[in-house]
Amino acid sequence: MVPMENYLVLSGILFSLGVYGVLARRNAVLVLMSVELMLNAVSLNFVAFAAYLDPSKATGIVFAVFVIAVAAAEVGLALAIVIRLFRNRSTANVDEAATMRW
Amino acid sequence: MTTEILWWFFAVAIVAVSAGVVFARTVIHSAIFLILSLAGVGAMYLFLTIEFIALVQFLIYGGAVTVLILLALMLTRMAASGEPEPTTGVQAPFGALVALGLMATLIGVAVSTAWPGDLGGSPVAVSIETIGEQLFQNYGAPFIITAALLLVAFIGAIVIARQEDGD
Amino acid sequence: MAEHAWILAAVPGIAFIAMAAAGRKLPRQGDWLAVLCATAVFALFFAVLASFLGLGENAWPVLNSIEWTAIGDFHLNMGIAVDPITIVMLAVITTVALMVNVFSVGYMKGEPRYWWYFAVLQLFVASMLMLVLADNLLLLYVAWELVGLSSFLLIGHYWERRSAVEAAKKAFITTRVGDVGLLIGIILFWDATGTFNILEIIHYVEAGAIGDTRLFVTMMFILLGAMGKSAQLPFHVWLPDAMEGPTPVSALIHAATMVVAGVYLVARLLPVFELAGDALLVVTMVGLFTALFSGVVAFAQTDIKKVLAYSTVSQLGFMFVALGAGFVGAGMFHLFTHAFFKALLFLGAGAVIIGAHHHQEMGQLGGLWRKMPITAATFLIGSLALAGLFPLAGFWSKDEILHAVDYGRGSWAFLLISLAAIMTAFYTARLFIRTFLGKPQDAEVASHASEPGFIMTGPLVFLAFLSIVAGFFIFGGFGSAFGFPGGFSEFVFLHHPEVFHVDWGLVGLSTALFVIGTFGGAWFYWNGRLDRATVIAEWQPKVYEMVQRKFYFDDLYQFFIDRVVLGFSYLVSWFDRFAVNDTGVDGSATLTGYAGFLLKHLQTGRVPNYAMAIAAGVVALTLISLAVGS
Repeated sequence: MVPMENYLVLSGILFSLGVYGVLARRNAVLVLMSVELMLNAVSLNFVAFAAYLDPSKATGIVFAVFVIAVAAAEVGLALAIVIRLFRNRSTANVDEAATMRW
Repeated sequence: MTTEILWWFFAVAIVAVSAGVVFARTVIHSAIFLILSLAGVGAMYLFLTIEFIALVQFLIYGGAVTVLILLALMLTRMAASGEPEPTTGVQAPFGALVALGLMATLIGVAVSTAWPGDLGGSPVAVSIETIGEQLFQNYGAPFIITAALLLVAFIGAIVIARQEDGD
Repeated sequence: MAEHAWILAAVPGIAFIAMAAAGRKLPRQGDWLAVLCATAVFALFFAVLASFLGLGENAWPVLNSIEWTAIGDFHLNMGIAVDPITIVMLAVITTVALMVNVFSVGYMKGEPRYWWYFAVLQLFVASMLMLVLADNLLLLYVAWELVGLSSFLLIGHYWERRSAVEAAKKAFITTRVGDVGLLIGIILFWDATGTFNILEIIHYVEAGAIGDTRLFVTMMFILLGAMGKSAQLPFHVWLPDAMEGPTPVSALIHAATMVVAGVYLVARLLPVFELAGDALLVVTMVGLFTALFSGVVAFAQTDIKKVLAYSTVSQLGFMFVALGAGFVGAGMFHLFTHAFFKALLFLGAGAVIIGAHHHQEMGQLGGLWRKMPITAATFLIGSLALAGLFPLAGFWSKDEILHAVDYGRGSWAFLLISLAAIMTAFYTARLFIRTFLGKPQDAEVASHASEPGFIMTGPLVFLAFLSIVAGFFIFGGFGSAFGFPGGFSEFVFLHHPEVFHVDWGLVGLSTALFVIGTFGGAWFYWNGRLDRATVIAEWQPKVYEMVQRKFYFDDLYQFFIDRVVLGFSYLVSWFDRFAVNDTGVDGSATLTGYAGFLLKHLQTGRVPNYAMAIAAGVVALTLISLAVGS
């Protein structure tokens, strides 16, 4: 028997790894992959709660469905921006796009 | 018992490949690790007996999203230069610190909180009928809005990524 | 008719509006309208007088008021009150206003803004009549400020001349200092009694509604207003400068009517002054000092209008002395007679100025009587009336004041006021001798001098007539003949009517004063010689200069304004510039700007930095909520 806390801890670790990727990596595509990791961690969390605490209503599962759908939209849009960035500035590094400031 | 051993194996594997995603020096390696990680999370859904979500995970993430990412990698491939650029930014150590702090916080909260309704039992199988009913009865409006969102997002993606005259 | 006396003020008020709006387009720029209006007011006055006398003593004061506004329980009534004091004022104002309007037609001929001059003259008459008719202090204050405004406009009539502008400003600001006192006094009255009505206030005070100290303080504030308007020491400085205005204005406003508003106010509130401790003594002292001071200063003035101005200040001091002695009849009687002969003297001075082509320095005049016999004769009558020759008007009123002071204040004040009377005769003699007698000082001026036309000599003759006969109103028989209850003191009195008896001792004394003063003046200045006066001036040059510089009052004020007011203003402006502007307004802007300059470096424009901030913020907030929530 696997207790629910195991899923929560696993999801926490995944989320934190994603956060590290977002904060540390320079490549925009890799930042996006890290965001996917975070979204996955969130979905796992939702589903775990649904399966353990609220099976009759399945709210968490529905949320996971939405998360996946929104993630798909987000990744499509974000990759379009990355391609645009690369085409304009010949780089895919997030720390080199620094014109949005004073 | 067998389930638990299997679960722990998968859990360790997921953490490992996820770490591979963020620490790998080559972007292609990261992408491959990401596919593995997504698949592992799909397996976790099977452990939770929610087969529908597992299926969605394999189809959308394992299939569509990774293909999209690989495509983006190909389109943004840099011309090979002499010196390999650093893959992490200057704020990486601070990022690590924040991430560790976040991890400690999340784990601490997850372990110490007494979750209401948690009987310490096993996950209950949720039938696909229940999910369908919920999705189309109680969450009909968000479902339709999500559909619109997807449409708008993809049109937007096309507009942004389109090759304009003179580009 | 007496209860509708407000019509008197309404007629010139309407005339002012009409002339201000359309005066320039009227034929002859509307001067006929002004004269017509003044004549109408003069005629209406007699209708009011007849009606007032017809009502009988039991019906006095005649009241008529309407509710102006009601705020909660507070009802503000505006209206008129006609009593003997008002009647005297009305007589003076309407008569002198008519004379001055007629005279101005000749005097102001061809001057700039002819129509506007007459329009403002009507405004002045309207507000002056409103002032004396008002039954409450609030309306009185409004009229008080309106006459100040018309005075300001008329003094500054020749605003192309810088000195006229300065004089108008000085008159306005100096009287304003007193007016603030008056306003404070009115507010104090209202605070204590809850009413502005003068009669009600007097009743309240007689019933002891206001404590002694408070009443004294209130009356001092009221007196401040009266002193400002009536140019009493130390507010006298504006009146001599006000001579910058057209001369008929000086006759009407700065001799006969507006400047006596202060006397009128004190006379009107005399029952209150009487109960306010030593307030009347203060009134006497102010009057005495003013009378003596300006009498001395008048010795050394060389401009004929300035001499007359200081003479006016001095005579106003006489009126204050009489009121301070508690004799409202004596004070008002001097006001009454003084208005006529001083208006005569000013109009005569105006005739001289016109005849001598705008020369008004005594050093350039002299020997004018041959060229201007009518002016000289009327001026002589005015001078003798002012100096106090038996039996001209000034003699009787000065006699009354001497009697009042002797009776009400004792011998010390009597001696001082006698001294002031000698001075009056002295400077009047000097003025007349140096202007009309002797040899012409400036042959050019004298040869071109000529008598002005009938339009100007007519008012002079009429006023000369009044200067002779006005004094007889003191006799019971003379008053009764015109329907009055008796002589002046039986008509205007505070508590009991007084029947006038000729006191031959006093007559002899005041004739002696007249003789001493006049012959003193004649001895110094007869036949155009100045050597005797020059000897005095050279004997004590410092004293002479002090007198000529008017005891340095103007210098003192200038010094005060330069050092104290401007110094304080500099301090305020420094505070405003540095503390308020540079530190406060600009300072906060600079601080914000500098903070922004420093903080902008937080904005790197690099997305990872922002993401880092968000993540660190989430962690921090989570930890805080855990720490606080548990």
